[in-house]
Amino acid sequence: MQNWYPGSAEGKGGVYNFVTKRGLCEKNAKISWTQVETGSAVTWKYPSCILKGDNSIGEFYSIAVTNNYQQADTGTKMIHLGKNTRSTIISKGISAGKSQNSYRGLVKINASAENARNFSQCDSLLMGNECGAHTFPYIEVKNKTAQIEHEATTSKIGEDQIFYCNQRGIDTEKAIALVVNGFSKEVLNKLPMEFAVEAQKLLEISLEGSVG
Amino acid sequence: MLQIKDVYASVEEKDILKGISLSVNAGEVHAIMGPNGAGKSTLASIIAGKEEFELTKGHITIDGEDITELDAEERAHKGVFLSFQYPIEIPGVSVTNFIKTAINENRKAKGLKDMPASEMLKKIKEKADLLEIDRKFLSRSLNVGFSGGEKKRNEIFQMAMLEPKLAILDETDSGLDIDALKVVANGVNKLKNKDNAVIVITHYQRLLDYIVPDFVHVIMDGKIVKSGTKQLAYELEEKGYDWIKEELV
Repeated sequence: MQNWYPGSAEGKGGVYNFVTKRGLCEKNAKISWTQVETGSAVTWKYPSCILKGDNSIGEFYSIAVTNNYQQADTGTKMIHLGKNTRSTIISKGISAGKSQNSYRGLVKINASAENARNFSQCDSLLMGNECGAHTFPYIEVKNKTAQIEHEATTSKIGEDQIFYCNQRGIDTEKAIALVVNGFSKEVLNKLPMEFAVEAQKLLEISLEGSVG
Repeated sequence: MLQIKDVYASVEEKDILKGISLSVNAGEVHAIMGPNGAGKSTLASIIAGKEEFELTKGHITIDGEDITELDAEERAHKGVFLSFQYPIEIPGVSVTNFIKTAINENRKAKGLKDMPASEMLKKIKEKADLLEIDRKFLSRSLNVGFSGGEKKRNEIFQMAMLEPKLAILDETDSGLDIDALKVVANGVNKLKNKDNAVIVITHYQRLLDYIVPDFVHVIMDGKIVKSGTKQLAYELEEKGYDWIKEELV
């Protein structure tokens, strides 16, 4: 979970967060990355897995929130070398204000990786008319037995959703938190309980005042 | 309880309601009927406080308090409930989580603490049983992949949980088969008491066989052109709306 200073609402200042994280999976090993990115003016972050050993597993679960003038470019690399290696990528991007939020990921199946499997899901949620969401999935397959799936959706928090919540007595800020938490649920569920509660609060704070 | 006084309303500069007055007392059921585009749903939206709908003239009061300037959630806190014609989907938010949030937000507005979890669960069970709702249903994402009947039943479930003073049912019968209609109507009837009121908006007389109104109003071209008892609904069913049009000329 990273929440560095994102700069002012006008986009002045803020931390640049460029990160390198990668893990090597030997035989039957598993690495699971779960990240919640809310801070920094600019984030470039790609926690990756090298699935070297046979039957090894790589997972990447990500929530990235950008507001105001923030830019996030984040994702993962799943490099399949061993046989029967599997990887799962679930990425949830939430953009508000004038921010730009990108998923960038590589799924690479080497010639040696017999029966490799990958499933990727990249969902983007937009708030307002001035933000952007982008998805750059790179897929390189050198082995015919590979099975790769990629799903992507982009949706926008609708006025109808907000009104529906309002009508039930839920104010707009809380309504947005509800929609965002629902959207991020598959990833939040991967966090330990106490952490998930913190993450939910952090999402709410990061998006505070994002609707006028 | 509800007083609508000479209300004019427009959407995107188009006049929809052109002088509607309506008075609803506690314990009453009012049916609002009328052809497509007459302004029935607009009336529901304007009472609930939907932003795109602009009230250009007139006042709406609840228990004597003017709610014309209030936000939708503040009106909800005053006990206004709208059962949507097309309920909205919220992926990843369960029916239980949604209603829990709604109840606690309403309590917060009244200065009360969150409802204790045990009490909440008991209430959910009680109301789900009342509406013959399966437990599994409660953990599904709100309205996502629900059938027409499930959506409407979920609306009435929320109504049962929130116990509003004034419930407006906007075309609750559309998309329902006869069995689902009976369950929904039965639920509404069980929730009705001398302290609350129901406004039923519908095209057809059919629903009114199950939710029996005290008064029936016909809206045409943004005005209430005729009011009467249940008998009026039968006449409409038989003769159609043209009959009233002719009468008006």
